[in-house]
Amino acid sequence: MQLEATNVLNPFSVVVLPTTKARSVFPGFPLLNPSASIKPSGDNPLPLQKMSSLILRRSSLLSRNPSLSRHFLTGLSSSLSKAHSHHLLPSNHGLKVLASGCHFPANNITGSSSVSVGTSKFSCGSQLGIINSLCGRLFGSQAAVEPSTSDGLTVEGILANQWTIFEESESDWKSHASAIAQSIHVIKRRLQWKSLIVRLEMLSAQLDKPDLWDDPVRAGKISREHGSLMSRMKEVKAFEQELLEHIDMIKLAREEDDADLQSESMKALLEMRRSAKEKELEAMLSGEHDSCSCFIEVQAGAGGTESMDWASMVMKMYKMWAQRHGYGVTIVDEMPGEIAGIKRATIKVDGEYAYGYAKAEVGVHRLVRCSPFDSAKRRHTSFSAVAVIPILGDTSTHVQINESDLRIDRFRAGGAGGQHVNTTESAVRITHIPTGVTASCQNERSQHQNKASAMTVLQARLDQLEMARQAQMNAQHTQSLTEISWGNQIRTYVLHPYRMVKDLRTNYEVSDPDSVLEGDIDSFILSFLSSALDKDEDYS
Amino acid sequence: MRLGLARRSLSMFPPILTRAYSVQPISRTSISPPPASLKPQTPLFLRPPTHSATISDLLKWQKWAKTLASSVGSHFTHLDDGPDTTLLHRELNWLLQDALENPKLPLSHVGTNEVVKLRAEMEDLYVLWKQRIEERRPFQYVVGCEHWRDLVLSVEEGVLIPRPETELIVDLVGGLVKENEELREGLWADLGTGSGALAIGIARILGPFGSVIATDLSPVAVAVASYNVQRYNLQDKIEIKLGSWFEPLKNVKGQFVGLVSNPPYIPSNHIRGLQAEVAKHEPRLALDGGSNGMDDLLHLCHGASSMLKRGGFFAFETNGEKQCKFLVDYMQKECDGSFCDVDIVSDFAGNKRFVTGFSGP
Ligand SMILES: C[S@@+](CC[C@H](N)C(=O)[O-])C[C@H]1O[C@@H](n2cnc3c(N)ncnc32)[C@H](O)[C@@H]1O
Repeated sequence: MQLEATNVLNPFSVVVLPTTKARSVFPGFPLLNPSASIKPSGDNPLPLQKMSSLILRRSSLLSRNPSLSRHFLTGLSSSLSKAHSHHLLPSNHGLKVLASGCHFPANNITGSSSVSVGTSKFSCGSQLGIINSLCGRLFGSQAAVEPSTSDGLTVEGILANQWTIFEESESDWKSHASAIAQSIHVIKRRLQWKSLIVRLEMLSAQLDKPDLWDDPVRAGKISREHGSLMSRMKEVKAFEQELLEHIDMIKLAREEDDADLQSESMKALLEMRRSAKEKELEAMLSGEHDSCSCFIEVQAGAGGTESMDWASMVMKMYKMWAQRHGYGVTIVDEMPGEIAGIKRATIKVDGEYAYGYAKAEVGVHRLVRCSPFDSAKRRHTSFSAVAVIPILGDTSTHVQINESDLRIDRFRAGGAGGQHVNTTESAVRITHIPTGVTASCQNERSQHQNKASAMTVLQARLDQLEMARQAQMNAQHTQSLTEISWGNQIRTYVLHPYRMVKDLRTNYEVSDPDSVLEGDIDSFILSFLSSALDKDEDYS
Repeated sequence: MRLGLARRSLSMFPPILTRAYSVQPISRTSISPPPASLKPQTPLFLRPPTHSATISDLLKWQKWAKTLASSVGSHFTHLDDGPDTTLLHRELNWLLQDALENPKLPLSHVGTNEVVKLRAEMEDLYVLWKQRIEERRPFQYVVGCEHWRDLVLSVEEGVLIPRPETELIVDLVGGLVKENEELREGLWADLGTGSGALAIGIARILGPFGSVIATDLSPVAVAVASYNVQRYNLQDKIEIKLGSWFEPLKNVKGQFVGLVSNPPYIPSNHIRGLQAEVAKHEPRLALDGGSNGMDDLLHLCHGASSMLKRGGFFAFETNGEKQCKFLVDYMQKECDGSFCDVDIVSDFAGNKRFVTGFSGP
């Protein structure tokens, strides 16, 4: 194959490879996807033929343009340099390479390929604004090289330029570049870039320890986390790299008056701009357990039938939301109210990222309306608490449960049982004696299945408890129902005297409660998730 | 024979509409070969989806059925510990699931004019639900199956609907065979197998050489159990025999490594007072344990030691604490040392339910 042949001949083609990786966005979550025109993964934005011809052209361009070749080398080195492997760079490459690992100072670049080795960490990038210098420091310690174009433009530099962003249809490379750079900025913030790097460094250090595999479970955990964070970081870096390359290409095309290459690169930039928006969304769900399925639990507050009715409305809202997204919904546990509604209920929501989204719903939901259960039709306020529990996919992270620590009781049992009674009711409650945590299930059709299902709830609850215990290490965890205080209101639904739903955390509001109660809650979820992640200004 | 008549065709899928005939107790002496017409019914969820209805018709039925169930309130519960509205609503959902070709379909998201495929006619669904509420026909006979452990067993009038309590016997056996190869690879007996529940549950946890012989006096039970065994493709592991208790097992005396049974244990004069679903619809042969309910248990007790190999395991289900204690006492006093490690095990409701032990001193 031609591409492979070029690879062998030309090591610089390495930098192009990341662009061929188009990860599919939001598996199992089509509705949240802002653009319907997402390419299936593997559908390369640049056809293979064109790619390789581009590479060939580049290599011929490179020989004519020393500054570009230095850029490519930078790209190569950054793509080779894993967090702890920068020293793996070949030593006989014949070109001077930064050894300190500090990024190229923009003001130093003159088009020559030699860069002084001893550049101070703190001076580098100082003209590109605070963010850049912060990054510089960090990357300095990371010994990663900040990628830049041949004339020294970095992603931070693009941001600092504050080029106007026009509509996508405007064929203006600066506008595209600026939009993409902003997305990269958002993505890094959402990924908590700095913490990510610190964590990666810590994990790498652990991986390097010779006694690591003495505890294989822990070792597996560390190496899995390292791998997943690493791939996340690499993906962003590759994206940055790709942006800069296209800019180089455009500049080059202009110099050479190559209309083909220019329009090619412009198209590629536009592609990037679109996928950048998807990546922004994707980055919102980068929490450790975000991709898990989950349980959603709703509990009615005080206030009798009206409040139990509200709890069942909230539960219905989630069922419909989940169904809209193609998630599997199973009722696990349900305690109906005497007259209407539910006292509490648990549903299982099966599908990718169910937890990542649903976790935005944790807290107390408040309803104001004229109660249909009040003969005087007075206005009532009621509350429902919502808890969301991830169902950890990785069984090795599960809390170990000893069979002997469990007590299993038949629910609503009484009387002689056995042959005396024929009932389809076979609910059980499992109590974990050491913690007092219980779980029950009554909606399966056999006792055995009720028990199995209650066991998964119990497992998830115990896992969540353990996560809460480790909360300092494991930044994100959602509260269980017992932890949610009734003061912790997150959203108000008013049906009377006016109509609106307002999120108290983001102030996001809509004036159509009906559609919200029918499960149209995505905009609430997204606005909360983004506000929660985006308030940290500096990627902390 | 009466049973044959009860099964006479009425409509295209007759058995599901079989009226809730109370199956008359079969006299214990009249062991006749199963009549040729004894063909087990296909549970609703396995019938071909050859019928259809619009969503709006289905929703109409659902609404009607829900209202009917709501009218019950806790009336049955007060009357005889029967089902209340909540439970009936849950059953209604299950009936719908079993009747729909695609049970996962959320009806609320489909246009009301759309047509869905059903496994029973719309009219049948009305009749079935009426039977459930008005005649107290057990839900499991209505849909023709019972979910038991991880199994879905076919059941019909004439066969006891397996109880959740009984599931535990399989767990007990499971715990034993995990650690004991002889038990895992040996021959087991399930006496009075009914739908075949215990035999199938146990056969699935035995090793490749383990097998089960199951017996029942009721030809309907034998037919249904055979059907269930085939559904789980266990015909090589389970043999079903018609006959009274140990009688069909004469030629394998002393060869069993395990023996389980849930024999009839209700005292005769209690039966009339039981919940309507049981008293009016389940076979008396499966329930009636004689004047104090111990007739069959004692009979099994006597036979067990000669059937079992040394070290073989047995588990009997009983009516509760009284019978458990009586049985343990009896074994210790009367069976002079043919059993050891005799124990009482409770069910999840906290009732002393099972007597277990091993043969030989
Ligand atoms: C309580 S039911 C148990 C059925 C099944 N083992 C279960 O647990 O679901 C008792 C069973 O014993 C059968 N039975 C009654 N008398 C019998 C006898 N003399 N010999 C064999 N089986 C008998 C009944 O037909 C019935 O199927």
